[in-house]
Amino acid sequence: MISLNINDKTYQIDADRDMPLLWAIRDLVGLTGTKFGCGVAQCGACVVHLNGEAVRSCVTKVGRAEGQKVLTIEGLSEHNDHPLQLAWNEISVPQCGYCHSGQLMSAAVLLRENPNPSDEDIDHAMAGNICRCGTYPRIRKAIHMAAELQKQKETTE
Amino acid sequence: MKSTINQLITKHWAVFRLIGVMGIMLCLVSLMSLASNTGNKAEVSTATLVVKKDSVASVAAFKKVYRVLMSPRCMNCHPAGDVPLQGDDSHLHTMSPQRGLEGKGVYAMKCSNCHQPTNTPGKNTPPGNPNWHLPPANMKMVFEGRTAHQLAKQLMDPKQNGNKDMKKLIEHADDGLVLAGWNPGEGRTLPPMSHAEFKKAWLTWLSTGAYAPKK
Amino acid sequence: MSTEQVSRRNFLRMTSVAGTALCLGFYFPSSAEEAEIINAGIADGIKDFEMNAWIHINVDGKVTIFNHRAEMGQGSYQSVPQIIAEELEVNMKDIDIRFAQGDRKKYGNQVTGGSSTIRTSYKNLLKLSATAREMLILAAANKWGVTAQECFAEAGHVIHKPSGKKFHYGELVVDASKLTAPANIVLKERSAYKLIGKPLKRQDTPMKTDGSAIFGLDKKLPGMKYAAVERSPRLHGKIVSYDATAALKVPGVQKVFKVRMGVFTIFREGVVVVANSTWAALQGKKLLKVTWDDSGFEHISSPVIFERQQQALQKEEGLFLKKQGDPDAAVAAGKKTLDLVYQTPYQSHSAMEPLNCVAHYQGDKVEIWGPIQAPEWVQDYISAQLQLPLEKVIINMTFLGGGFGRKAFMDYPHEAALISKEIGAPVQVVWTREDDATQGPYRPGISYRCQASVEEGEIKALKFRMAGQNNDQWRSGKKLTTANRSTSEGFLAPYYKSIPNISFAEVQFETPIPTMWWRSVYASTNGFAYESFLDEVAHAAAQDPMDLRRKYLQDERSQKLIDKIEEVSGWKKRNKNEGYGVAITECFASTVAQVVKVSKDNNGKVKIDQVWAVMDCGWYVNPDIIKAQVEGSIVMALGAATIHEITFKDGMVEQRNFYNYKMPRITDIPPIEVFVMDNTENAGGVGEPGLPAFAPALTNAIFDLTGKRIRKLPFDMASV
Repeated sequence: MISLNINDKTYQIDADRDMPLLWAIRDLVGLTGTKFGCGVAQCGACVVHLNGEAVRSCVTKVGRAEGQKVLTIEGLSEHNDHPLQLAWNEISVPQCGYCHSGQLMSAAVLLRENPNPSDEDIDHAMAGNICRCGTYPRIRKAIHMAAELQKQKETTE
Repeated sequence: MKSTINQLITKHWAVFRLIGVMGIMLCLVSLMSLASNTGNKAEVSTATLVVKKDSVASVAAFKKVYRVLMSPRCMNCHPAGDVPLQGDDSHLHTMSPQRGLEGKGVYAMKCSNCHQPTNTPGKNTPPGNPNWHLPPANMKMVFEGRTAHQLAKQLMDPKQNGNKDMKKLIEHADDGLVLAGWNPGEGRTLPPMSHAEFKKAWLTWLSTGAYAPKK
Repeated sequence: MSTEQVSRRNFLRMTSVAGTALCLGFYFPSSAEEAEIINAGIADGIKDFEMNAWIHINVDGKVTIFNHRAEMGQGSYQSVPQIIAEELEVNMKDIDIRFAQGDRKKYGNQVTGGSSTIRTSYKNLLKLSATAREMLILAAANKWGVTAQECFAEAGHVIHKPSGKKFHYGELVVDASKLTAPANIVLKERSAYKLIGKPLKRQDTPMKTDGSAIFGLDKKLPGMKYAAVERSPRLHGKIVSYDATAALKVPGVQKVFKVRMGVFTIFREGVVVVANSTWAALQGKKLLKVTWDDSGFEHISSPVIFERQQQALQKEEGLFLKKQGDPDAAVAAGKKTLDLVYQTPYQSHSAMEPLNCVAHYQGDKVEIWGPIQAPEWVQDYISAQLQLPLEKVIINMTFLGGGFGRKAFMDYPHEAALISKEIGAPVQVVWTREDDATQGPYRPGISYRCQASVEEGEIKALKFRMAGQNNDQWRSGKKLTTANRSTSEGFLAPYYKSIPNISFAEVQFETPIPTMWWRSVYASTNGFAYESFLDEVAHAAAQDPMDLRRKYLQDERSQKLIDKIEEVSGWKKRNKNEGYGVAITECFASTVAQVVKVSKDNNGKVKIDQVWAVMDCGWYVNPDIIKAQVEGSIVMALGAATIHEITFKDGMVEQRNFYNYKMPRITDIPPIEVFVMDNTENAGGVGEPGLPAFAPALTNAIFDLTGKRIRKLPFDMASV
């Protein structure tokens, strides 16, 4: 049995330690917000946070996550109100939406480490996430908006 | 022995002035022990170490070293720019991961987000290492585009080599990431010689005066 | 077909808790242009009323709107309810939106392709929603004993104007359901719209930002198994033998067997590994050893394909699709003629959600859940293949993680159904990215030969012919005797009025490669040839490319479109050292003009500075969704023009995953500005028409800047 802490909840799963975290999360834990896109760390659809870092769960073995803190899209905020989620909704960023769990999890690390990202910073943070629908212009716009929302939130709190 | 080493110091290693004889002795001991520890049959003899300044042997050794360093397995993580290279053709790494200050990537694009502690099985999957990184921003140690002459000079310049002294340079041959070049994951070509051969050339080069080829 | 001929039971699916009859239905025979409204009986005691197939209202006033089309990013989940809510007079925030099951008797054509959702159903949706509203108003008027004229509907309520009394819809639905549907419903004027035409936020966004949207891959059933299939690397290989020893040793792998799935008229074989997790199935698949018989079909390579096409274009006239005047004579006698060849590549759809499907075969029926663009085709196909009555093949829709045409096929649901039948349990079949990339069907690679005669600045003749695989060939499986009906797709009809001699012909060309629709279909490649060629003609005629289009597209609608693109792009205020290119294409009843601006960066490399697009899709619902679709189409076109292509070597596809079928990334995207024309013409498509104009506008701009003409896609921007 492997003990996983996902979104502050502990799960005991019966899995080979080499099983990618992606499939453990989706098939064994049953959280399906994290997506399978390529299986080889090319597309970013499977990004989750492992101790705060935006790891690609399709190549991260579940053994690496044992006893560590995993955060999936379902745990990004309690009420779908992370500044990025608010901005994504405000701007209607997703089209098919399949890649956006990964896009948001990647962007969340960017905003945490750089509350005021430039276009170049966004390029540096987001070039690992593919969107076949081509929502890139809106992703960029929404990250800028989320940075603003995050600042406002901090000043009001 | 002392005099030859001092000459070397004068020639190349300003930093050695600070180390003193004991340090140098330690280096040589560790060099010998390292060489034998790896089971290298053609190990560097004491004579080679002691007999410094053999420019011909040194340059010849470096040419071997250079071939390895310029192979994709080494050069790809010593790029001219701030984006690593990828593949046997050393193209710019897909998705343009950035070096970052520590050489470990930035934001959502940190090396270890994809590069696991070990190689991911299969072709075209991220190779792994627990400490996957590029040289840091303040010490980029660029291989890409360097001539053998430039690279040799650069490797011996503490201002450019990460303040590595002889001991550290010797040790670097067995650095985990250097060794990873010989365990590159499925589908990637190996460096042009074995690690043992490389290490022998590396040590030979260092111990014969670390001469830089003319070009 | 008249209403009398329709058995009411046919369309009234029992959806209420009580499972009894429902009140009002709108029957859409698939052949009929317009819906026919019919009444059905009503039973007492039920709480949830199907006002019609799209609208359910329960006695508490909760309104549920059913989206009858696939949602694959194009926005039907928002735009269909936005239309209905307008005439029904309900707030978007107060409604529930659900996917309809596949049911042609209730919904008519549900095939989500050809950018058809709005343009083929908006008139009916407006009418049925207004009808439901009028019945609710009438029910209220009857309750109050007043005339309907004194009442109006607003925000889910009927209000008696003089007294201010109001009922919510839930209080009226029982009575309304007993009324006869009124005829001659008057629809709102566009100026009175509160929702239609407004850039409302999409209702599916919240689900797509917190992981709760259920895509095909997210569907789970109790006891569901997972399956992965090892497929022939050569598209049509047959299994000689396979060794499952190693696969069966993987913990969690339960069964390995041969499976066969239909791709239209052909069948493909594979070896399936069934397991208790996706991971186990994928591991088992990797360990299978399959021997393939690759005989009986040509092992083709890409260079051969294009060589043959281009040889054929020089030798054959082909089958004419359209011909006016005598372009042959005009070209033969022309003083100044052009004769040029353009080439466009095969492409993979590569939706982010790899193909997958859940099937549960239960003896007398099979139920399917998946990312499906064409539920009735899946229903038809599985019904025929598994010999089940149509109504025993139940197709449930999920969100699609992209479709672009690929998810309109029946192969992957068919395969899932067969596997479920074999194992006697529900199963989810997951295609790997490699399966997705290497199996096709693909957009066909096409070569074009374009000829023109130009005299004294006038276009005398245009003669187009193409050689490329015909998707209809794959659907029918028969050798076709008429020209590909999409041969001129992308070309603007007004040119026929201003240019005396025009012809379009198809030089028939086939290979064993399965091909099928890819976003904007033939317009996606035709547009490149036609609009590049017109640019070349403009230069040959010593005319500004925009002026040339203005001169030959004389209808008012085109003129306005040209005015707009010229204005927003600053076409006439161009600076030195900037290249501008224009292209205008039409497909699926919408016309899009694009201008691309390029310049050289500090290293002398050509870069794209800006893209402007103007979409004329006539009557429209949500301008923000339209803009998003055009933005996305441009990004997809950018990838297909400058980044990726599918190539074949010895009968095998060379690309396997995103490492060698590279996608545009956020770093590749220029600023894009989209404008939507405002008019009340019939609604046109939105999801696809923004794509074809991009590639030619880009290469025309590169020519403008550098004098270098690009006639073959894809090309590498870095090497221009």
